[in-house]
Amino acid sequence: MDALATIAFYLGVIAYSAASTLFFLDLARQGSARSLWGPRVLAAAAALHAVHVITASLVLNRCPVESLHFGLSFSALVAVAAFLVLRRYASLDAVGVIVAPAALTFLVGAQFVGVEVTSDPLISRPLLVLHVTANVLGVGLFVVAGAAGLLFLVLERRLQKHRAAGLGGRLPSLDTLDRSMHRLLLGGFPLLSFGVVTGALFSRHLEDLSGAAFARTLFGFLTWIVLAAVLVLRRVAGVRGRRAAYGTLAGVLCVLLVVVVYAVRLGGHGS
Amino acid sequence: MISVVGLSHKSAPIEVREQFALPAERVPALLTELVARPEVGEALLVSTCNRVELVAAARSGAPLDAVARASRDALAALAPGAPPGALYALTGGGAVKHLFGVASSLDSLVLGEPQILGQVKEAYEVARRAGTVGAVLHRTLSRALHTAKLVRSRTAIGSGQVSVPSVAAELARRIFGDLSGSSVLLVGSGDMAETVARLLQSSGARLLVVGRTREKVDALARAVGGEGRGWDALGATLGEVDIVITSTSAPGHVIELEHVKQAQKKRRGKSQFLIDLAVPRDVDPKVQGRDGVFLYNIDDLSQVVADSLKTRGREALLAQEIIDAEVQSFDRWADAEQATPLIVALRERIRAALAAELARSLKGRLRHLGAAEREALETMLDASVNRLLHVPSTRLRDAATLAELETPGLPELTTALEHLFALDEDADAEASLPPPGVAAASASPRGESAELASAPDVAKLGTR
Repeated sequence: MDALATIAFYLGVIAYSAASTLFFLDLARQGSARSLWGPRVLAAAAALHAVHVITASLVLNRCPVESLHFGLSFSALVAVAAFLVLRRYASLDAVGVIVAPAALTFLVGAQFVGVEVTSDPLISRPLLVLHVTANVLGVGLFVVAGAAGLLFLVLERRLQKHRAAGLGGRLPSLDTLDRSMHRLLLGGFPLLSFGVVTGALFSRHLEDLSGAAFARTLFGFLTWIVLAAVLVLRRVAGVRGRRAAYGTLAGVLCVLLVVVVYAVRLGGHGS
Repeated sequence: MISVVGLSHKSAPIEVREQFALPAERVPALLTELVARPEVGEALLVSTCNRVELVAAARSGAPLDAVARASRDALAALAPGAPPGALYALTGGGAVKHLFGVASSLDSLVLGEPQILGQVKEAYEVARRAGTVGAVLHRTLSRALHTAKLVRSRTAIGSGQVSVPSVAAELARRIFGDLSGSSVLLVGSGDMAETVARLLQSSGARLLVVGRTREKVDALARAVGGEGRGWDALGATLGEVDIVITSTSAPGHVIELEHVKQAQKKRRGKSQFLIDLAVPRDVDPKVQGRDGVFLYNIDDLSQVVADSLKTRGREALLAQEIIDAEVQSFDRWADAEQATPLIVALRERIRAALAAELARSLKGRLRHLGAAEREALETMLDASVNRLLHVPSTRLRDAATLAELETPGLPELTTALEHLFALDEDADAEASLPPPGVAAASASPRGESAELASAPDVAKLGTR
């Protein structure tokens, strides 16, 4: 079982690398015909990734949502799955050029994060599972939203600067990216809200709120405020496009900061 | 020969070029005023989105530099606020080469674009109707169009389907994706604007048309299958549409920054694509850079097209070789034309002398001859003149085109012939000379385009 997890991991790394390369080549290639190899290889990589997560968690007898190691890895899987589902409904293949390397980074990065569960006995275990699950799913969706936002800004800047030649027919339209970004935020926001609320509840139970725990709680709230502002301003004042993309990226950056704070474990509680 | 004075996308940005834009109805007056000047014999104006150029030929004896100065003055008067030095001037062979390159689309922003050929023909037609073209410009333009066709047929410079309208439609897709739910506003009219509108409409977009003249708006709306609206509805309609195509002949902006701000409020931040095909521009450039607003003028679109067609650069080299060869051929013809007045004068002198002798004989010893015999003698006389002057004519043309040290040049031969045959003293003979342009018309270079209307009355223009 351990060998299978290891093999699945290495094959997953290779497949993610290949998918990243294929997405990049597809973007750099002239012509408008889309290649399906990038998404196919990415799907294969996700399958290998899933095999790795399942077998490794079985070997270690850990629930995947109970440790940051598997949480990070699982977030990448969610991001890839969200991307693969979304691309069936919108011409978003180019977003893969960011999602595939991000998934690879998460998969490899998770190897440097410990697998032990260090939850506080005062925290309800089922609630903790729900908290981590919501966060993992939310992070996955926000990663794709961030990728769409980044691509939006690049494409928008090129169109504004009249450097539109050579963009090819494989890039999604600005409207598609804007809509996808909004939908991913809408999907991830309730999960984030749940994660923030439960996280706040857990913090109340912690007797000594360490610097790391404080930082991630702060960034958690900040993420919620930023993304709430993006969604509310869009609804109320019609703020979309460039400003919404910047807002989304700011929110996603906060999410990643929370993840980093978890990962480096600045001496705090690793719930 | 000719001079070319003007400015193009290569020498001046659109902000400067639009100051020189001249309404079509004012072009004949400009040309007529120019040829009324003592040094200018012929003139035409090539005015497109990417260039404004006055092509002029000198009146007999006038230096080309003076013609270029006159052309520069005429153009400068159109745009008093333009920066000094905005205009370039080419004369002689350089001007011919430039004109051939322009007609062949080598000087276009979109290399190989086909519209320029029609625009050059149209420029000729306008000048012809105004009575400002003669033999020189007729020959030059004919040759330029012939060269342009050679370039298009012998190179792949015009291959591919990339054009300003197709790029505009592609950019719209880049912004909005599926255009089936989009709406397009066409402000004003123009071939290119209508082509863009039709392309977008064929992708499923709804079309609205706004213009100053209601009858024209309704006619255009019917033609393109859209909905016509009055000019006063422009502001309100801007807020309804995703794409705006403007192509009016208004001298100033018809869509100001404030219009766009209002439209953005109404659209609640949804993107808007403004395609400004007019010169002078219809949309205030301050709009550029606003969040969600994408403004492309004709230069921007053409640049995108040009960037997409960089592979045409290789064909351009081949096209340049063709143009160089054609310019050389034209130069040889033009050089040879310098000998034509002398040949014609010589021919007329000799024929007049022989005809006078024949007439005397026909009144004397040959008066018994009938009409058929007299006609035969006239024919024989013409044939004798031709035979007699064949070698001298050839050598005179050679002297004009070939600068060989061991043979006398055209100036020496001209002096000798004028002295030997008293060509410069015989007032009657001189008066009988046809104008140089007519003489030129009898000796056109090979491959001349037949598409231009025949050369106008050059005697009236007195050009060379």
